[in-house]
Amino acid sequence: MMKELTRVNFTNLNKIIYPELGISKSQVIDYYIRIAPRMLPFLKDRALVRTRYPNGINEEGFYEKDAPKGTPEWIKTFTKFSESVQKNTDYVICNDLDTLIWLANLAALELHIPLSKTPETGVPDIALFDLDPEPPAGLREAINAAFLLKELLEKLGLKSFVKNSGKKGLHVVIPLQPNHNFDQVRDFVHSVGLILTKKHIFIVSERSQTNEPGKVLIDYPQNSEHGTMIAPYSLRAVKEATVSTPLEWHELNTLKPYDYNLFSILNKSEEPWKHLFDEPQKLPKSF
Amino acid sequence: MSDLQAEPSARSIWSGRITIGLVNVPVKLYTMIKDQSFSFKLVRKDDACPLRYERVCTLDDKVVPWSEVGRAIEVRKGEYVVFSDKELDSLRPESNKKIVINKFVLMNQVDRVFYDTSFILAPDKSDDSYGLLLNAFKEKGLAGVGKFTLRTKEYPIIIYPYHEALILTTLRYSDEVVDPKTVKEITTVKKPSKEELDLALKIIDNLRGDFSIKDYRDTFREEVQKLVESKMKGQIITVEEPQAEEVRSLMQALKETLSQMQQR
Repeated sequence: MMKELTRVNFTNLNKIIYPELGISKSQVIDYYIRIAPRMLPFLKDRALVRTRYPNGINEEGFYEKDAPKGTPEWIKTFTKFSESVQKNTDYVICNDLDTLIWLANLAALELHIPLSKTPETGVPDIALFDLDPEPPAGLREAINAAFLLKELLEKLGLKSFVKNSGKKGLHVVIPLQPNHNFDQVRDFVHSVGLILTKKHIFIVSERSQTNEPGKVLIDYPQNSEHGTMIAPYSLRAVKEATVSTPLEWHELNTLKPYDYNLFSILNKSEEPWKHLFDEPQKLPKSF
Repeated sequence: MSDLQAEPSARSIWSGRITIGLVNVPVKLYTMIKDQSFSFKLVRKDDACPLRYERVCTLDDKVVPWSEVGRAIEVRKGEYVVFSDKELDSLRPESNKKIVINKFVLMNQVDRVFYDTSFILAPDKSDDSYGLLLNAFKEKGLAGVGKFTLRTKEYPIIIYPYHEALILTTLRYSDEVVDPKTVKEITTVKKPSKEELDLALKIIDNLRGDFSIKDYRDTFREEVQKLVESKMKGQIITVEEPQAEEVRSLMQALKETLSQMQQR
């Protein structure tokens, strides 16, 4: 019986969520059930932000921070006062399989994670370089920028990890020791970006420069207490049903857009980010 | 073990001869395809008393005895053309105890949508000539086509070697098979973009495997069989609510993930 396996009551399983591929909500839930062992470590103790598409990706979705009405009692939440709207927000914390599939049943296709854990949300444990190509630049240009970034970080004695965003971009991250604040991390990411822009004409470091076509932006402002990135193994709300996928660096050589989606990723046996948090690093003070 | 697992029949259903020009090979025909669906008997629910059909007149509700039953075709609403048994018999093809092969063709020239049902041809005290015919078929790599009358119906047929035997497969007539091109929705199918096609191809590659018919089972039949056995032992049956396909596959995924997470 289903009740013995999960506390979640599934609803509207036949609803089509990805119309171009004919993927129903039950397939979305099936995906999150099967990816859970790999994905849950990256969600643990983080205040999740969701993008929900209850009527499928071709209808308008919505961004959700607060736990919705009817959230079961067994869902763990984290309450934080928001200065901007002057009220408390109850964030959902996903530390177990049931919470993940409860979110999937709400058609929360995209799960975004902050770069710090609760309750110390001011202490980042991930530094994020968000590589975003501006057309006509695409994934290939983002890959070139990522390799240059990796090389520079290695010179600074830092080991970096890479994933695709599931869209056109790439995310390069460094796991951090708990002795930084967000200002320091943001400054570091910004400075690294500036160094690369000086040497490589196709790289830019400021959002204001994205109106220049063909550039790759190394975005830094997301390194803040309110910033988020798409979670590793989260689905994306695009018609190809892609997944933001942790990668080995050598995989970038042959990576193509849409290489990993809801179907194909389950055949990927490697887990390149499995040991991401095992060796947190310290950012250099000056360089 | 072979993929063909039905029980063989004890007795043949027909005997006669294969005729190719002037050559005759005496053969028997055995059933090859066995429908394993349950046939439920109709009974009264309370006491399992078996029921019988009666032919009842739609005008006066009286039972009509077999001796007064004839056959008819409705030509217009409420208007019938009636045939006597004699008339019908004179129209039916004669069962001449012959399987006539009049041509040899490449097997793949016969579109498999015409295949209907198959029978095993066995020698009828004709081991030598049957063996000769079988080996000649194998050597040539061709199939024989012709016709054959079983009971009261004449069929186009194809004969070919398979697993060291000759198989006879009856074919459908051309006006019995629908051309997919004539289905309205088929005519408006769109060509995909290259991008969409690439994605679909990738998904297909991921699911690529080898076919074994034994991966498929008639679960309804198996469940009914189990129920019959437990009912015969006098066990009390509790009826479980039928689960939708999606729910069953999600339960399967949950079981797999839960056991995987315990191992981690």
